[in-house]
Amino acid sequence: MKLLSQLLHNKKALVGLIILTIIVLVAIFAPLLTEYSPTRRVGRPHQAPSWDHWLGTTRLGHDVFARLVHGARVSLAVGFGAGLLITVIGTVLGIIAGYKGGVVDEIINFFTNMVLVIPNLPLLLVLAAFIGQASPLVIAIILGFTSWAWGVRVTRSETLSIRQRDFVKSAEMLGEPSWRIMLFEIFPNLISIVGINFIGSVIFAVITEATLEFLGLGDPNTVSWGIMLYNAQNSAALSVGAWWDLLSPCFALAFLGLGLALLNFAIDEIANPRLRTGGMLNRWTRMVRIGEGKL
Amino acid sequence: MTFLLRRLAFYLAAFLVAATINFFLPRMLPGDPIAIMFSSAGADLSLENLNALKLTFGFIDAPLHEQYLAYLQSVFTGDLGRSIKYFPLPVTELLGRALIWTLGLMGIATVISFTLGSFLGVFAAWRRGRLVDSVISLGAIFSSSVPAVVVSLIMLFVFGYTLRWFPNGYAANPLLDPAWNWQYISSVLYHGTLPMLTLVFVLTGGFAVTMRNNMINLLGEDYIVMARAKGLSDNNVMLWYAARNALLPTVSSLAIAIGTILGGSLVTEVVFNYPGLGNTLYQAIIARDYPVIQGQLLIMTAAMLISNFVVDLSYVLLDPRLKKA
Repeated sequence: MKLLSQLLHNKKALVGLIILTIIVLVAIFAPLLTEYSPTRRVGRPHQAPSWDHWLGTTRLGHDVFARLVHGARVSLAVGFGAGLLITVIGTVLGIIAGYKGGVVDEIINFFTNMVLVIPNLPLLLVLAAFIGQASPLVIAIILGFTSWAWGVRVTRSETLSIRQRDFVKSAEMLGEPSWRIMLFEIFPNLISIVGINFIGSVIFAVITEATLEFLGLGDPNTVSWGIMLYNAQNSAALSVGAWWDLLSPCFALAFLGLGLALLNFAIDEIANPRLRTGGMLNRWTRMVRIGEGKL
Repeated sequence: MTFLLRRLAFYLAAFLVAATINFFLPRMLPGDPIAIMFSSAGADLSLENLNALKLTFGFIDAPLHEQYLAYLQSVFTGDLGRSIKYFPLPVTELLGRALIWTLGLMGIATVISFTLGSFLGVFAAWRRGRLVDSVISLGAIFSSSVPAVVVSLIMLFVFGYTLRWFPNGYAANPLLDPAWNWQYISSVLYHGTLPMLTLVFVLTGGFAVTMRNNMINLLGEDYIVMARAKGLSDNNVMLWYAARNALLPTVSSLAIAIGTILGGSLVTEVVFNYPGLGNTLYQAIIARDYPVIQGQLLIMTAAMLISNFVVDLSYVLLDPRLKKA
């Protein structure tokens, strides 16, 4: 709760939250915002934006605005779903490795480093290619199971330092079981890292889903921003001058990315008391998300 | 020395994992793995050629572990099979040709954005809280949050299609023959400008933020205060006392970023129809040319591991403490 009130007092966080809220509201009320179905042919191919079709039509005569607002649902669902999965796996493994130490730590740490050096997108391409036309759900799941390594690394290193603190020592002396210590003593102190990890993972998932679909590995019947990009690219939207077809999902993705990134940086600033004015510094964001945050 | 040997062993293990994924993936899926792998060939493949391909990928009449060893043997002898779309072109040759373009594009873009980003980060940290800092930080946030595919498409639209400043595709004028003359080289540079700018835009922000955060953490250290107390000039303290030390973790973040850079360059190449790995891969995905798709994972992993090793080496040079370890 303290985090939340601090967030509301941070300008970057506020702008980020507003952007995110707009997109979430658009996604929820998508059917009310447009009279058109996103999957029906409602106009002639590649009509320019007009009063009837705010953002024009695609080559198949679908309404771009209708596809955009409905597509927000998929992007958000995959982003937050996969983000949650990535964060849960990363946090659980990170805390266990950092707190338990010993062999457990070595095993987890070894696998984490291994996953970190196998390039993520090429791996995802192989997985998705064998799966065939991956639905958003499948994309979210494979993202979740391949992208947790960064989270483990940061959570583990922070857990290592928290483990040495007095309150953990005293809980150990009192004979608390280790799951309790990890859950109630250590985890609450990691909340800002978990937050950064979560939002970073959401950004990553949104971008990667769009990228995989753009590259032709998604299910072409889905209504999502990535599939919109794929269709626009395949119908040579730019060379026939139908910029609206391509730029609409582009700006939507950029807008969502910006909102999430602002939020992430704000949490970073709040988590780091060292130099609040400049903010957004901290030990564990040495690697920020440039490691995995985007493609 | 042991540090580097340990890293080498680790990289070998990582490569093995990538190869293992390639081996088990088609076998784990429902259906006939041979049919899945080579289905896109249709009837074009003669029985003899098909058998050779099967052998490369370990589809032999033997228990699983022998199949696995057979596959590993082909991987480690550099045989990644043949492309089905461009049969009988070997995958290594197909990807090798493309790799040169990707490495060139990626390498130059990485050097430019790393240098630019680090300087921006140093500068922002030095003037933290001021206007310069806000501008750089916000710019960096924006640049690091927008997907490469979006940046590429917007660049292509603005500079390629609308302003017509730069060509819309290819690595060089297709009418020219590749040669070491100015005409060809200038054509390559001209065609490479947009993809390069895209990558630099996408990458610089991340490097700037990393550098800035490291710098700010360092600026509170005693030796910085000491350097100032000695009366050293601002520039001297900023570059030789703070930036130099802040560079160390930034270099290690570079190693992790290489995967991202690879990914970004894949997408950028597809958008700009650039003949690198990304585009080759895109064509392979459309044609479901599985040997090529699998081969790229191994080649990319190898590229990533080699760059990681280079970073390890530079780390030893930058941090003398590691030399003894």
